[in-house]
Amino acid sequence: MAGQYKTSMKMYSAWNYEKEIEDLNKASEKGWQLVKGGLLASRFKKDPGVRYRYQMDYRRIDDMARYIETFREQGWEYVNSTFNGWHYLRKLYDPSLPEEAYEIFTDRESLREMNGRWARLGLALGIVAGVAALLYGVWMILRFQIPVALVFLLLAVESAVLLRGWFIMRDPDKSRNRRGDGALLAVFLAAILLGGTASIALAANRVSLQTEQKAGDIDHPVIDSRWADFEVKYPDFYYVDLTVEAEKPVDFAILNEKDEPVFEIHEKSYRTENRRILLPRGRYRLSFSAETGYRVEFGIG
Amino acid sequence: MKRSEPLSESYYYILLCLAKGANHGYGIMQMTEKLSGGDVTIGSGTMYGATGNMMKKGWIREILSGEPGQERRRLYQLTDAGREILRGEIARLRRMLENAEEV
Repeated sequence: MAGQYKTSMKMYSAWNYEKEIEDLNKASEKGWQLVKGGLLASRFKKDPGVRYRYQMDYRRIDDMARYIETFREQGWEYVNSTFNGWHYLRKLYDPSLPEEAYEIFTDRESLREMNGRWARLGLALGIVAGVAALLYGVWMILRFQIPVALVFLLLAVESAVLLRGWFIMRDPDKSRNRRGDGALLAVFLAAILLGGTASIALAANRVSLQTEQKAGDIDHPVIDSRWADFEVKYPDFYYVDLTVEAEKPVDFAILNEKDEPVFEIHEKSYRTENRRILLPRGRYRLSFSAETGYRVEFGIG
Repeated sequence: MKRSEPLSESYYYILLCLAKGANHGYGIMQMTEKLSGGDVTIGSGTMYGATGNMMKKGWIREILSGEPGQERRRLYQLTDAGREILRGEIARLRRMLENAEEV
């Protein structure tokens, strides 16, 4: 008989693994037997003739043969492992057996150890995300730009979610949280993914220009020199660095498509760093005119 | 003698079940249930973790069964260090019981 299979795209957070086990048991009762558990999707085989009870374990297995044998001795069949260290196990359901026969962790210490293994990972990732969020936060305050703000927001939310997971998992009693948050998790991951892609795309589309004009030896005047063109693909704050040293006042301007200046100076000596200007979408032109002996350094990012 | 941490119930019973000779995981589990009158059970996850940890600590070691037909069967055997730990734990438990009787 050709087997009938289905793939279920249900996600569970690590601190909700008990909810996942409960759902696997319910699916088994309805005739859908897990054959491959996964982080994003799980595969089931239709077999109404049997009923299994499932369990999940989280650890780094250093001896797979010993692991499988230790479980087989008590009637457990090893199903599969996910790449990130979760293992699925199942045992044929026998109504005459007591509930304890379907537990794989029979003391507080070993359950605490298992939860603790994930909790340590959650804490480490949460701290890394938190520190990164902090750095991006400082960067955002110093130089507000949309991609930076987006990354800050994503890291802050990610850190909060991971630290909440750590908080739940570090105590086995708190992990008895059977309220499924799969939909929330899916939205959260989608937001992180979309937001991450968007911030990378926005950052890649930003203009960053470093340029310099030196004409100290030129004795004939330069009048209205077109220097560089650049394009802003989405409105955001930009930060200008400009140094001008000249014998006679230099006219320097950033002009928009209508030749209106969005930034301009007329100075012999001028220096600014991180001057914030809001640039709408469009093409811009750097223009300057100097009569003699000048040095102009310009950067925008 | 330096005082060691009290053993968990599972660690204690695993060591105890190996005191009289090597045994496999299932044998340890059955013997534990029998000894404790069904009060203590050792599930597979607990067993794998506990035996792994105790092998790392050098309290038990893995040997292959020499019995015909079961040559490849994995057995656990108490080491001298493990026997010492078990002795220490029994002495600790005995002292605790004696203290209870004194009060």
